[in-house]
Amino acid sequence: MKTQSRLILLVGIAALVAACQSPAPAPTAAPTPAATFAPTATSAPTQPPTATKPSTTAAPTAVTSKQGGTFVIVAGTDPGHLNPAISTSGALHFSAGSLYNGLVALDKDFKPQPELADSWMITDDGKTYTFKLHPGVKWHDGKPFTSADVKFTFENLLLKFHARTQTGVAPVLDKIETPDDLTVVFRFKTPYAPLLQQLNVIEAPILPKHVYQVGGEPQNHPANLKPIGTGPFKFVEYKKGQQVVLERNREYFKSGLPYFDKLIFSIIPDTATALIAFERGEVDYVSVPGSDVERISKLPGVIVERSPAGSGGSFCVQTIIPNHQRAPLDKLPVRQALNLAIDRQRMVQQVLFNQGRAARGPMATTAWYFDSTLPTFEYNAAKANQLLDSAGLAKGADGFRFKLTAVFPNTVAKMAEVLKENFAQIGVNVELKIVDFNEANQTVFIKRGFDLGYASYCNGPDPEIGVRRAYDSTNIKAVLFSNGAAYKNPMVDELFARGVAETNRVQRVAIYAELQKILVNDLPYFWLYESEGAYAHRNTINDVRPWTSSLAEYAWSSK
Amino acid sequence: MRAYLVRRLLQLAPVVLLILAINFTLIQLAPGDPVLILAGDSGNETYYAEMRAKYGLDRPAYEQFARYVLNILRGDFGYSFRYGQPVFAVILERVPATLLLMLTAQTIAIIVGIGLGMIAGSRPSGNLGLFIRTGAALGYALPVFWIGQLSILFFAYQLGWFPVYGMESLRAGYTGIARVFDIAHHLALPALTLAVVEIGLLVRLTDATLRDLSGEDFARTARAKGLRETIVVRRHILRNALLPVVTAIGGQLGALLTGAVLVEIVFAWPGLGRLLYDAMLARDYPLLMAMFLVSAFGVVIGNLITDLLYTRIDPRVRFEAR
Repeated sequence: MKTQSRLILLVGIAALVAACQSPAPAPTAAPTPAATFAPTATSAPTQPPTATKPSTTAAPTAVTSKQGGTFVIVAGTDPGHLNPAISTSGALHFSAGSLYNGLVALDKDFKPQPELADSWMITDDGKTYTFKLHPGVKWHDGKPFTSADVKFTFENLLLKFHARTQTGVAPVLDKIETPDDLTVVFRFKTPYAPLLQQLNVIEAPILPKHVYQVGGEPQNHPANLKPIGTGPFKFVEYKKGQQVVLERNREYFKSGLPYFDKLIFSIIPDTATALIAFERGEVDYVSVPGSDVERISKLPGVIVERSPAGSGGSFCVQTIIPNHQRAPLDKLPVRQALNLAIDRQRMVQQVLFNQGRAARGPMATTAWYFDSTLPTFEYNAAKANQLLDSAGLAKGADGFRFKLTAVFPNTVAKMAEVLKENFAQIGVNVELKIVDFNEANQTVFIKRGFDLGYASYCNGPDPEIGVRRAYDSTNIKAVLFSNGAAYKNPMVDELFARGVAETNRVQRVAIYAELQKILVNDLPYFWLYESEGAYAHRNTINDVRPWTSSLAEYAWSSK
Repeated sequence: MRAYLVRRLLQLAPVVLLILAINFTLIQLAPGDPVLILAGDSGNETYYAEMRAKYGLDRPAYEQFARYVLNILRGDFGYSFRYGQPVFAVILERVPATLLLMLTAQTIAIIVGIGLGMIAGSRPSGNLGLFIRTGAALGYALPVFWIGQLSILFFAYQLGWFPVYGMESLRAGYTGIARVFDIAHHLALPALTLAVVEIGLLVRLTDATLRDLSGEDFARTARAKGLRETIVVRRHILRNALLPVVTAIGGQLGALLTGAVLVEIVFAWPGLGRLLYDAMLARDYPLLMAMFLVSAFGVVIGNLITDLLYTRIDPRVRFEAR
């Protein structure tokens, strides 16, 4: 017990010192295409929705034995408001996701499943998607949900304010049609393959037209703090900085669901405090940092689930961005040498505490579009030194060949130290500038004042969402998480263009495999590692699905 | 007295304008961009431009400032970027929690700090005095968040006497008097933690002043009259010693607010300190400006009250309108 507490204490102090020196990243700016979590095979829930029961509408007799109880979930950051259609903030979606639905849901393999839409049809040219909506769905205020809500949400909210949907869908969308109350048709200007991956509650939550068409601008709309959705839980109260309380939606269209009577998102900004509160039983569900996973998983009655995603993003690859607009990073042998000098295993051990794995390329090793034939990256400082010698970059009197300025967010300070040591071994002097998240992104992507930058490029459920942006030469611009390296390869541009238009998944995967081979040879970036999120809950809580952002839809307590 | 008060309050106007100008400049100079935070991980140039235009961030700095001051004169402090609500609605919601925390901490600090300081001051030598002085020095020196972590570990985790975090028990949903006790139960640890630094300061100050004054002529006279030492201390010395102590308490208001930021984060206390922290991370300019203004105002008013208290403590102090 004593060592244990000392450990918590140390961790707590460290966390706080870090927090005081330079604030933690703003959750609103998480570099994540999706606040979802890809489940591992081991933690994957097996239970399908029990959709066979008759509707529970005003029929308490249909209550199953799973029903009841309060589920207290730790949220690290205040959501601010609860309108998920105008924000991509992971903190907001974490709680607001339980209030709404998307047209489709994504299962643990990121395959689209019916949600507000029962079925869909795609024309052969990949330009027209027709969705049949689930009949009888009601908003939390009792009004019926129709195709007009879908059209309104896209046109007035998502395509204007949801930064990801605005960037991804708006440029290619021609129009949305609603031939009847239960049919929605999306027409695209060009073939568009990834749409189904972009319609879940995170990417495209559907909001009520009758609420948002009046009462003010979307950003300041009163309903953002008194949300009305179709989701499994209804809004009760939001006390800022304290808690978000939701209750069971008894008229939820997935009959029988959900099970918990009450959902409380308790806002605890300090991780050490949150973990102690979990150990004391004050909260039921908490995200566990890598350094604490071992200790927490040894506690009796506690289950730690892992998912191959960092907090707030799916399929994230933590990446160093070399600025190709600055010498000598524009030279391939130099990038090859730097890449060889990176000790990825050591980073996984010392930075991730083994809660993750070394990256093998631009796409996450756990994503469906990853090319598993790629080799692992070699760590070989001697070979790196040779490469730099033959490139004519000799060591100076101080033992260094050249200097690189690295602008990194404070969240990766530990990685930065390892990298600095790694590069020092081959005579490359790294000057570290560790700043807060917002400033780092501004310096790298907008002002471009860096040699080495950093981003966690989260690939997301589709490569079109989270991969293409970093490699396409048309995306070299002053925009966050764009092609920050300023990498140009016409072959790569063309393959991405072919990938987005290819509706056959097998052929798409082949295109992306070819892309990955080219990129691993060109080394436009240095892909370091893929972190793995860990979540702890008591073993009496079952079937939590964190990767859906409606994490308690199927959850129940066996206590 | 009234004239003095009016004059002091009038002086506030330029002070406030200066505070606004300085804060505005600081925010302009600081790195970071709220539009990038609004965009989250995505967005493009069109999105950035639209957001900039929407919040007036595309205007030159002097114009933004002029607009801001004009709007304030009309009572409009703007909308928070992050919360999408008028900033004062956001701030007011968080005031009670912080006031409760700060006033409780302040009260504890005054009672315990002056009390222990008196004990130490009347025992210039001896172990008890030494012990109190050492403790006070430690309390003043230790970082407040570390004390908070320690107290959570010991009193909440090991002993289980207090809840770990927050302001209320979430599951129980108490009402009425039970709720009051529940909040008090949650308040104990953060308030004590926040008080520790000021206790340290007040102990040292009371102790030193007492020892200083006890050699003064008036103290010797009192003793020569045959008064008991406790009476000498309480009636004669303490009253004189209070002047610097009250000054220190008034001057500590700002420090207390700073401490509240850290304590509120450690204990997940839903007050202004955390709001300020979140607002900084989000570069929520309207909210930040208003919060700086409110805290500056609080400190200025605190100092005014301190000055007014002087007349109560020391009848020789008088304020006259010139």
